[in-house]
Amino acid sequence: MLNPLRSESDAFRFLVYVGVLVALIVGIVLLVRAL
Amino acid sequence: METSSAALGYAPLRDPAGPVHDEHGPPEANRSSRVDAQFLGMLLFIISEVMLFGAFFTAYFFIRVVGGAEWPAQGTELPVAIAGVNTAILISSSFTMHWALESAKAENRAGMRVGLLLTLLLGATFLCIQINEYVHLDFGPASSAQGTIFYGLTGLHGAHVAVGLLLLLFATIRAFRGHFSPTEHRGVEVPGIYWHFVDVMWIVVFATIYIL
Repeated sequence: MLNPLRSESDAFRFLVYVGVLVALIVGIVLLVRAL
Repeated sequence: METSSAALGYAPLRDPAGPVHDEHGPPEANRSSRVDAQFLGMLLFIISEVMLFGAFFTAYFFIRVVGGAEWPAQGTELPVAIAGVNTAILISSSFTMHWALESAKAENRAGMRVGLLLTLLLGATFLCIQINEYVHLDFGPASSAQGTIFYGLTGLHGAHVAVGLLLLLFATIRAFRGHFSPTEHRGVEVPGIYWHFVDVMWIVVFATIYIL
């Protein structure tokens, strides 16, 4: 299980996941606004 | 002349007939928690940090959603493109940080040193660009509620970057002095966790403040 506080590797993976998730949310919001 | 501790009127510090211990310093502290002390410390620290940022985000959403204020304030503009480039710089510093630790684990000292140095430089560049942004913005913290929360959130994050740079500086100096090995690299790992946390917070700050 991913635990960003356990190790740097986990924290880095968490950062990548957050980046992807936020990009996805921002993309959806901008798309909805544009419609 | 008798100078023993018994003759002086107090008990000897150590019984000469008792067991001889090689250890020095205070006895090992009792650990009642099942969680590792360093892990627990980091956990509590990050939780407190999340609550701190949460308080600022609450103020931001209160102004924008509950108060219905225009974002950014009327007549003001945020430099989204510059902040986007700055975001790319900060995120790339997480990749160099990860590379530095992987190099340390692989006993690649040159990679670790270059990785740490690059992370430090990228982080410093981010901070310099943000300060430059503050200088050129046409509104201040006292201009409006939006201005207050903009400077509050980005400033809070900037302060965390500054602390991270200090930790990275210590780690870089130690790396150039020959510290750290594939088995002992806690001095790189802990600043690395902190640095990724700071970057995660910036992704959220950038998305909410500049884009949405």
